Amino acid sequence: MLYSIIASGLAVGAVYALIGITYNTMFATSRVMSFTAGQLGMLGGVLGSLFILRLGLPIVVGLAATLLVCAAIGVLTEFVAVRPVLKSLDQHLYVLSTLAFALMIQQITATEWSTEPQPFPRLLGIGEGIWDEKYWLPVVTCAVTIAALEYLYRRTLIGRAFLAVAEDNFAARALGLPERNLRVASYALAAMVGGLAGFSGGQLLLAFFANGPQLNFYGFIPVALGGLGNNRGAVIGGVALGLFQQAANFAVGGIFASVAVFVMFIAILLAVPQGLFGSSSARRV
Amino acid sequence: MLITRRTLGLSAVAATSAATLGRTAHAATEPIRIGWLASLTGASSAPAIGFNRGVVFATDAINAAGGVKGRKVEIITRDTQGDPTKAVNATQELISQLKVDAIWGPTNSGESLATTAVMARSKMPNIHPCVVDSLIDTKKYPNAFRMAPANGQWDDAVRGYALKIVKAKRIAVFGDTTGYGVTAAKASAAAFKADGADVVYIANIDATQPDMTPDMLRARTAGAEAIILWSVSTGMIARLLNTRGTMGWNVPFVGHPSLSSGEIGSLVSAKENWANVYAVGYKSCSFDAAGHLPPRSAEFVARLKSKVDLSDTLLWWVAAGYDAINLVTTAIEVTGSTSSDSIIGYWNSLKAYPGVFGDYTYSVDQHNGYPTDEVVMSAANSAKDGSFTLAPGYS
Amino acid sequence: MTAWFYVAILGVLLLLPLTGNEYRALIGTRAAIYWVLIAGLNLIVGFAGQLAIGYVALFALGAYTASILAAGNVIPEVHPALALIAAMGVGAIFGLVVGLPALRLRTFYFAMSTLGFATIVTQVALGWQDVTGGGIGLSGPSLRPPFDTPWGLYWLSVGLAIAFTIMTANVAQSRFGRALIATRDAEVAAEACGISKPKVLVSVFLFAGAAAGLAGGLFASLQTYITPDAFTFDLSLLFFIAILIGGRGSILGPLLGTILLTLLPEVAAPLAAWSTFVYAGLLLLIVLAMPGGIAALLDRESRKALPSERAILPQHQALQALLSTARKKQRLQLSGILLAFGGLKAIDGLDLVVEPGEVHGLIGPNGSGKTTTLNVISGYYKPQRGTMALGEMALAAGRPVGRAADGICRTFQTPRVIGEETVLENVMVGGTLAGQASFVEALLSLPRARADERRIKAMAMQALTAVGLDNLAGIRADRLQHSELRFLEIARALMLHPRLLLLDEPAAGLSVQEIKRLGALIKAISREGVAVLLVEHHADLIFDICDRVTVLNLGRILAYGTPSEIRAHKEVVSVYLGA
Repeated sequence: MLYSIIASGLAVGAVYALIGITYNTMFATSRVMSFTAGQLGMLGGVLGSLFILRLGLPIVVGLAATLLVCAAIGVLTEFVAVRPVLKSLDQHLYVLSTLAFALMIQQITATEWSTEPQPFPRLLGIGEGIWDEKYWLPVVTCAVTIAALEYLYRRTLIGRAFLAVAEDNFAARALGLPERNLRVASYALAAMVGGLAGFSGGQLLLAFFANGPQLNFYGFIPVALGGLGNNRGAVIGGVALGLFQQAANFAVGGIFASVAVFVMFIAILLAVPQGLFGSSSARRV
Repeated sequence: MLITRRTLGLSAVAATSAATLGRTAHAATEPIRIGWLASLTGASSAPAIGFNRGVVFATDAINAAGGVKGRKVEIITRDTQGDPTKAVNATQELISQLKVDAIWGPTNSGESLATTAVMARSKMPNIHPCVVDSLIDTKKYPNAFRMAPANGQWDDAVRGYALKIVKAKRIAVFGDTTGYGVTAAKASAAAFKADGADVVYIANIDATQPDMTPDMLRARTAGAEAIILWSVSTGMIARLLNTRGTMGWNVPFVGHPSLSSGEIGSLVSAKENWANVYAVGYKSCSFDAAGHLPPRSAEFVARLKSKVDLSDTLLWWVAAGYDAINLVTTAIEVTGSTSSDSIIGYWNSLKAYPGVFGDYTYSVDQHNGYPTDEVVMSAANSAKDGSFTLAPGYS
Repeated sequence: MTAWFYVAILGVLLLLPLTGNEYRALIGTRAAIYWVLIAGLNLIVGFAGQLAIGYVALFALGAYTASILAAGNVIPEVHPALALIAAMGVGAIFGLVVGLPALRLRTFYFAMSTLGFATIVTQVALGWQDVTGGGIGLSGPSLRPPFDTPWGLYWLSVGLAIAFTIMTANVAQSRFGRALIATRDAEVAAEACGISKPKVLVSVFLFAGAAAGLAGGLFASLQTYITPDAFTFDLSLLFFIAILIGGRGSILGPLLGTILLTLLPEVAAPLAAWSTFVYAGLLLLIVLAMPGGIAALLDRESRKALPSERAILPQHQALQALLSTARKKQRLQLSGILLAFGGLKAIDGLDLVVEPGEVHGLIGPNGSGKTTTLNVISGYYKPQRGTMALGEMALAAGRPVGRAADGICRTFQTPRVIGEETVLENVMVGGTLAGQASFVEALLSLPRARADERRIKAMAMQALTAVGLDNLAGIRADRLQHSELRFLEIARALMLHPRLLLLDEPAAGLSVQEIKRLGALIKAISREGVAVLLVEHHADLIFDICDRVTVLNLGRILAYGTPSEIRAHKEVVSVYLGA
């Protein structure tokens, strides 16, 4: 039983961590926490099921198509819901615009796809029991994603440009970096990470239109625990959350598990407001 | 195909209802207006989508035959999304603004609990399929009629089957963490205990939990001989069944009609995972040993052919939607009046009204009109065109 | 303009019953009930800028409290009116609990913590079946006549909505409202004015919680029956979004937002399954069409052109009148101050005396510790060693909020003003401590609160006249030129009749003419008995007006003396003046 809690805890934790990275990636270039993060995770599952099961595409093609559509939605998010409100960030209008956009994505899925969970295809057919691919696929995906992102940020020119914009976008613009294009690119990248989260976790979470809000909540917690903008922190936070949540489900039952998760979340935040791995607050004066 | 059909259906509903806005006057040539509170999107909307097909079919049939005494029937649909607040708003709009003659729905108990008092205040004839027992109270809500079994009737059928036919003595009861799941599991466990059964494990499981192994292991350790399940979440049901398959533990599942939902067939990882599962069903929508539906249902299915898709829904949803509209129009046809008193009066006089879904009987002090002996258990994985084979043990 | 909108809304509310349409009564009642909650929440979101998106938690608590008490399933049945009052009480208490994390958490983190509370409340309602009825729920309180009919409840809700509109407007126009906005847009300046963020926030959290609890109780009556499903995330968002659409720091805007959001879904309802999609699309359009919210759309005043040729003309008489209510003159004394950031000693054993009635210049190259010294004096930095005293009174290190009350006021290197408020309101923020009326008095606009307002306003006008900005009193501060903001900050600092005034590069960005006037103003202020510590790079200004000058280098005193002594000091000339 302990093993099954650990297996499922790691799996959902990895999905949460990927959604956390989605938040972080969008935040880095725009200072916007977008409510579309969870919907992208939902779409990863739904689109994967649509392309592979319903349309019968090969798995690799289906994955590519899923990521492509997610990236397109990411770009659309930037154009429709982020760019127009960037000028007045302190009014927090992004909450409204990204929420409205997320709601539209969810409603389209509900009416055009299904309001019931739909199956997600078995991808590799490897493993069974607690070694089933549905448990380790998200973990592997998360590890590969974080490694790829580290490589991107540290070793490539475009990655460094991302970091420069994240650090100080005025300075980056002054240096002649195409700040706007980088932001669009980061939204596409974030959307693909979100899509991957849903795709790799598809066998666990199924292709279900209502997964979005759920992932929004639980994907934010790793961000808060790990510190905003800290992807490694998000991974640790995500895994910790996944394990805690599954253990709580087991220990106190379904009703009070979410209470336990949120009580822990609020308590940790109050103790360490910047997150466990976040940098301390900037000087104010 | 699924996508286009559903979309078309809904937009047709949307178009009809949009077109009716703004008109309020009543006249003999004016259409008969029936309000339809459907949870078409939002969680657990599969029943409403099924009901809706019956509603549209019934309306089209009546109007094609010239309407009710020359008056067309018009359905005014509101998507309540399972949200009680939206349901209350829509109810009041239907009553005060659109002046409907009767209301069908809502389809979720959570919504119905909130709308029942609102409808009672205006004596609006209301017919709904919600299961919570307290929704029917002929003193407080003389206008509200139930056309499907109450939770107690489901509970009786499930308990009877688990104890008498499965012959289980040690029972595990599962519910999800929604309001319905929590309440139904509690009531069911209490009733089992009252009948002398040994309830060895009771749990409310978060429907989004990806892995059901812990609860299943606990139920097995506790020695459960049958698992009683109260949930409308098909995802959760499928996960439970898959876990049972992985564990190699062939314990029977008995419970909520959703156990037989068509979605589960595609969600279980192996076909045999869905065997030995028994869901609440109805005689009217069940095949007998020879594979035939009762004559009235067979004739209905023949009429639906090529007009309504049954492959991804349940016959009883379509039949109930069809019956609901007919119950309203028949009342108006027979009494020649759309006043609430005459519609309610007519319903109160019904003795075994022959619907497709069942024979409805109401009186002034009994508004639970669905016959208990119609409620049976069916083999959950036996769906064919929305109907089921009776569970083993029924003759 | 604003008044006309209120009149129009009131007119519609009064005429609505004539239609006799109970659906309209329901929607009207719903909007009124939501507004009771949103009016309170507006002080937190729109004024204090806190992202409280989970207020449905308090709404649900109020609904359950009222329903449980009225149903009598725990304690004997109570009168529905008392049940509503109890709902307010419970709402207020939990309003504080939900709000307190805001003192530690920033923006989105706080937002998520409020959402966490919302989840906890619904799950507890679901699990605690004996009291809350679990998933089956329980009946809402049925009010006594005349409020037991749809129209009766309508009038009750509308009446309460009007009352809460007036109360929040009272708060908004009081020193508490200005203090909230100051903590939102200029937190550091607010502290320097003696505004304690925890104190003002606690008051509004209690008030908004009470409003939410009451709204919840009314909602339970309106719904007739409550289950946990009624308290959705969508409802919580509606509360929050109404304020965002309305615009910050406005009351009419969020009110119109509330009406809009209650009506929009009804307009979209005939689209059945597509209604929510259309609703979301309309929301998005609203954001794109008016990013400043409804309030910005209504604010015509700020689009009028300002006179391009204008001068800042300080008036000495006004200054004298303002500072005539003399405080005891005190000297500032720093001894042995040492402050290190990590291994770097920013201030290394500084002794400094600033006498009342004198202008004391503090100069030195960049990084020599001038601004850091100001920040130590005003309590933003806590030195590792050393003592500070004003007169006989020792100054506690690292406590910025107490400084204003001690008579220490300051300006900032980058002016910290509230752009969306008028010049007059900005200066009035400086007078927050001069008020005597409590939050409750301000809420109800009792005589003492009104007297406070009159007094603070008169004082602010005087301060503006003193610095020469009186003709810009009604202009939004974000439309001012940089030089004008510098004088605005001085006016704000003067509001508390300081004993010690700390000026951080006030001449930066000013024209030669303006520097002259600034110099005269500073000198005049010191001659009223105020000790002035001036950090400045403009050597001419320093030597013109200072009585004494201290030169810092690398955190230590390089030289000290009269301007002429300093000008002749060899080391100063080589290190700093570079002549």
